[in-house]
Amino acid sequence: MTMLASPRTSSAAPTVDAPRVSDAPAASAADGAQRDAEFAREALPWLDDVYRFALSLTRDEADADDVVQETYLRAYRSWHTFIPGTDCRRWLFTICRNVFLRSRERQRATVDLEDGEQDALAAGSVYAAARESGYDDLYARLDIGPALRDAIDELAEPFRTAVGLVDVEDMSYESAADVMDVPIGTVRSRLFRGRRLLQEKLASLAAEYGLVPAVAGSTR
Amino acid sequence: MTAPQQNQLEALGLSATCADVVRHLWDYLDDQLTPDGAERLRAHMTACPKCRGYSDYQSCFLEAAAKLRAQLDAPESLRTKLAEGLKSEGCSCWDAVKKGKT
Repeated sequence: MTMLASPRTSSAAPTVDAPRVSDAPAASAADGAQRDAEFAREALPWLDDVYRFALSLTRDEADADDVVQETYLRAYRSWHTFIPGTDCRRWLFTICRNVFLRSRERQRATVDLEDGEQDALAAGSVYAAARESGYDDLYARLDIGPALRDAIDELAEPFRTAVGLVDVEDMSYESAADVMDVPIGTVRSRLFRGRRLLQEKLASLAAEYGLVPAVAGSTR
Repeated sequence: MTAPQQNQLEALGLSATCADVVRHLWDYLDDQLTPDGAERLRAHMTACPKCRGYSDYQSCFLEAAAKLRAQLDAPESLRTKLAEGLKSEGCSCWDAVKKGKT
């Protein structure tokens, strides 16, 4: 059984507001300008990525705006804790998730998961049913992007985050584990469950729209 | 592997190696297998049209998910709001938030 752990402080990402560097008496104007230039160069290019991640967490554009705003302001105030040369996007995503959790008063879901193998097998069953019906090339023939995005939005948070980070944002399991504050094995389990649920959902939608015969044996 | 899982594989008409593909294809596509394990799956898929088809199917799914990344950017209203927020924090680079300047 795997339980979501409570958020802990990441190696570099701040979970509390740190003092503003510009308030430090020793900080010179030149230091401030250099810091701002580094922030602009390292952090700002990831704004679209952070927004997508925030939107995947909140599923609400206004809430995502607030989370991104708070993420960047917190990142700016805590820029002195960012280690140059490390993965700034990962650092920002960690802050973003912390901001989100705090905004939800750290509502925590508890999920029971196997090791992912059952989900991999179930996904194989969905494919086998599609193949039997001659519709196994559905993903290749149709633009499933819009349906897939909707289906991702409907996933429960732990699975949505895993799919969003690894499959959409192309993060490694290691980086996703750091952002999600869970072991790598938990990322894998949640990712596989998410993929399986998405593929079942897409198969159901395809049947609903008459694109394929109803898929038997879908499980949740 | 549990008995229900074994039954599930048999119901799919899969050999033991095909079963390994079903169990570990996502690990393979995510580059999480050892080099030996990856080579074993790759060699089998080269010779097995069924597993190759399954690999193509899963690859298409993952490609569709990856494409979502390019389809959603931060809205201008957020950029404007964030620029104002950074400006009020004393950040001299606030103007760089605006689209095209990052």
